[in-house]
Amino acid sequence: MAELVLQNVDKIYRSRKGNVHAVKDLSLTVQHGEIVALLGSSGCGKTSTLRMIAGFEDVSNGSITLGGKPIHTLPPAARGVAMAFEAYSLYPPLTIGENMSFALKSSKLAASEQDRRVKAMAGMLEISNILDKYPSSVSGGQQQRASLGRALVRDAGLYLLDEPMGQLEPQLRAVLRGRIKHYIRENKCTTILVTHDQTEANALADRIAVMEGGMLQQFATPAELKVRPANLFTGTFIGEPPMNVFTGEVTSSGDTLSFTVDGGTTLTYPAGEASPALREKLSRTRSIALGIRPYALHLGDGPVKGKIMACQWLGDQTHVAVDVAGRTVVSVSHERITLAPGSDIALNVASRDLHLFDPDSGMAIAHGGQLA
Amino acid sequence: MSQLSISALSKAYGAFKVFDGLNLSAAAGEIVVIFGGSGTGKTILLRLIAGVEEPSSGTITIGGHDVADIAPEHRGVGMAFQNFALFPHMTAAENIATPLRAAGASEDKVMAGVAKVAKLLKIDHVLTHSPRELSNGQKQRTALARALAASPNILLLDDPLRNVDAKLRFEMRLELPRLLRQSGATVLYVTQDYKEAMALADRIAVLAGGTFVQMATPEDIYMKPATLGVASLFGDPSINTAETTVEAGPSGVHVALGGTTVELADRYRAFAGRSVTFGVRPEAVDISAATGLDAEVVAVTPLNERTVLLLKAKNGWEFLSSLPSSAASIPEPGTRVHARFAEAGTHLFDRQTGERLHG
Repeated sequence: MAELVLQNVDKIYRSRKGNVHAVKDLSLTVQHGEIVALLGSSGCGKTSTLRMIAGFEDVSNGSITLGGKPIHTLPPAARGVAMAFEAYSLYPPLTIGENMSFALKSSKLAASEQDRRVKAMAGMLEISNILDKYPSSVSGGQQQRASLGRALVRDAGLYLLDEPMGQLEPQLRAVLRGRIKHYIRENKCTTILVTHDQTEANALADRIAVMEGGMLQQFATPAELKVRPANLFTGTFIGEPPMNVFTGEVTSSGDTLSFTVDGGTTLTYPAGEASPALREKLSRTRSIALGIRPYALHLGDGPVKGKIMACQWLGDQTHVAVDVAGRTVVSVSHERITLAPGSDIALNVASRDLHLFDPDSGMAIAHGGQLA
Repeated sequence: MSQLSISALSKAYGAFKVFDGLNLSAAAGEIVVIFGGSGTGKTILLRLIAGVEEPSSGTITIGGHDVADIAPEHRGVGMAFQNFALFPHMTAAENIATPLRAAGASEDKVMAGVAKVAKLLKIDHVLTHSPRELSNGQKQRTALARALAASPNILLLDDPLRNVDAKLRFEMRLELPRLLRQSGATVLYVTQDYKEAMALADRIAVLAGGTFVQMATPEDIYMKPATLGVASLFGDPSINTAETTVEAGPSGVHVALGGTTVELADRYRAFAGRSVTFGVRPEAVDISAATGLDAEVVAVTPLNERTVLLLKAKNGWEFLSSLPSSAASIPEPGTRVHARFAEAGTHLFDRQTGERLHG
């Protein structure tokens, strides 16, 4: 069983100008056959983490074990890790097919089996027709698929994929995502995917490790990240379009719970829609940050009043921007909606779709009426 | 009357033809998006209209006047580019002022003009900064402000959101239509992002292979694509396709698909025997029914507020279904489902020409 465990891992880059603490006390367990995405913007520590797992960087503190064996002291080649990087790094003098089978040469597989595997992988990635070509004569998207194929075709304890699909042709991307996810599942490949693109992470990963400032912000399934973000950072980082966030005050008075947000709008709910524990917590709370996902903000009736700024239909969804007391909030609908800019609109949100955060610490207080 | 009109416009560099015989007219205040992949000549078209390059043949008229002999600075055209192209030695305010100064405006008018457009674009607080002190978003707003400053009749925007991050691009996509309407200018907007095109355009002109393949409202482009090429450029995930043949019998019209037959509307009867590409948009694939094309769920991949399913039919045909993530039930990989195709997102294209068959 190739379970990957990072325990209290630090990465500190030391220089005369001062130390940079790129990864802070990271602990993470990737189960056998699981696909985990390290997701964050540049400088969040995801690439340093990947490089420590691969062995290109030393671990400053902590340990990394694969299948129970410490690997962080081993040279890269001894770690049993297959890699595909954004810069493709195919061997220029070898054809695409040779590049892919090169990784299998050192294995004990029969030549016919090696050939069968490369052909099957090439078929899955739609590069069967370029196996005889050299890397320099094919497109960036094709090179990227070849690089990915070269990594996946191997038998490895762990697969590290660094921004593996950024160059893929839009028309192929969705199908390839599905095929790759299926392949990884079927073959129980333990996989770490590093990306800044949440679309990629959501599509492929079983769980996503959201990183920012060298720290793990939350480690959860894509659905969990949407429904129960641990803090304001994850709440606003995950989700496209991003979550609407209001700041304001909460008042609980007997049988109602009211949120008065900047601009003066008040949202009132029956107190019974919040759990007793949450009501108790809110009775001691004043300032609050209120998060509402665009698809949970419904147009039509309700206490939030505004003016339509833009109404944009994109084929399978409509994005509506509404000016509410001088700030823009966004509502998304799966239906086609036509609303004239400048017209008045009211919006509502159900209590089950409210996310409450502490405005100072950013930590989640509640999701949908239950304590976080 | 059209504010901008181009007719039989061609551009070639030696033997290499970029485009040939383009026709387009845009009304005053209209936003026309020029949409196409890289290398289709979108930027060159803007350069011809701006007057910084000359066409090989054809005419461009602005406000009813042929502009062939009019210098770029006198055409009443404002332009902004994807790389911002700000003058590095000038402050944001000086950058914005350049077209006003070039037009010989008095210093009072220059100051007032800069202040007005800076307020509109919410960059009044960074006017004294030099470009290198500005974020990419501020640079892009400064470039837009400069393009708008002299109140041009024609505004040419060359992929202005290309180099800003996803969040800002989304915000600007919502904000731009209002800004552009307020300017009153006729806008030609170049982009490779279909969502941007649909969000901003009154009309979209799809440029491919040196011609406008289709010129229509976003709705018509999406719902009634002229060709398979247009259909596959709009939509994420893009349209599912399968090659098949139209068959007609006494019981109805159908195509062989995914190891079974799928009924078509009777209006396709006239195409019996025709080799076609069957196309169905992923959001038009309904898997909630009890009957339909038998398929297995291969993978489930969430995509923003939707969930995309990779499905495989009995004969190996792979296709995608895209459901709202809020849908009552999202099946697990390995589940067998029955797929039905909503008529609004289902099309037939001629296999040779790629043209959509109008049933």
